[in-house]
Amino acid sequence: MTRQIDDATRRPRRATVTEDGIRDLVDVFYAKIRRDPELGPIFARAIPGDWGPHLATMRDFWSSLALTSGRYKGNPLAVHRRIIGMEPALFDRWLALFDETCGELFTADLAAAFVDKATRIAESFKLGLFFRPHQTWPPGTP
Amino acid sequence: MTFVVTDNCIKCKYMDCVEVCPVDCFYEGQNMLVIHPDECIDCGVCEPECPAEAILPDTAPGLENWLRLNAEFAATWPNITNRRDPPSDAKEFDGVAGKLERYFSPEPGEGG
Repeated sequence: MTRQIDDATRRPRRATVTEDGIRDLVDVFYAKIRRDPELGPIFARAIPGDWGPHLATMRDFWSSLALTSGRYKGNPLAVHRRIIGMEPALFDRWLALFDETCGELFTADLAAAFVDKATRIAESFKLGLFFRPHQTWPPGTP
Repeated sequence: MTFVVTDNCIKCKYMDCVEVCPVDCFYEGQNMLVIHPDECIDCGVCEPECPAEAILPDTAPGLENWLRLNAEFAATWPNITNRRDPPSDAKEFDGVAGKLERYFSPEPGEGG
């Protein structure tokens, strides 16, 4: 797995979206996530076993978004509701790692397109998870 | 944040959007579809798929009435996840202005 990730990052940056590029994106990005001091433990708790199914799901997700493959059907917001330790700043950390990954794998325009989509979706998730105009943040504070 | 179905969907109802939506947030009326604003994850895959260019991001100006319409009818119309063929006269209505006032039906579609 490490060898594949090294190969992915040494390859010339891709300028167009392909399933191979998405596979590399998912592999490289989630390797960073698992190593990250903030996000690593959160993801490890949420995905305690084999990461194979999760990585396949994420490939399906990005393929559906970037290649209109229609492979992913699900409720990603609900998945995030179940995360223990969820807070808004984690989305910023996620996006920073995603931006870094896209910059390594894709040319500037393609990287920007992926990051733009991820940023929009992150905003949507943050609104769904945290926006409670009549409540304080974090929950339980007076 | 969400995407919004607008006027040109009415009586075209091409339904290409339904196939690509990763969260199945489209709801079907008799002559148009709407997007549920709380279910939409703002991914934007539907926007370029619509042959009628009827889908817009909610950041586009002047969409307040369409946002309300999408929210209202997504709550009562059935969920639609499988594309069906558009009406046989869809092309005649593609690009016609002011379809909301003349043709919009609040009745639910079949769903499915």
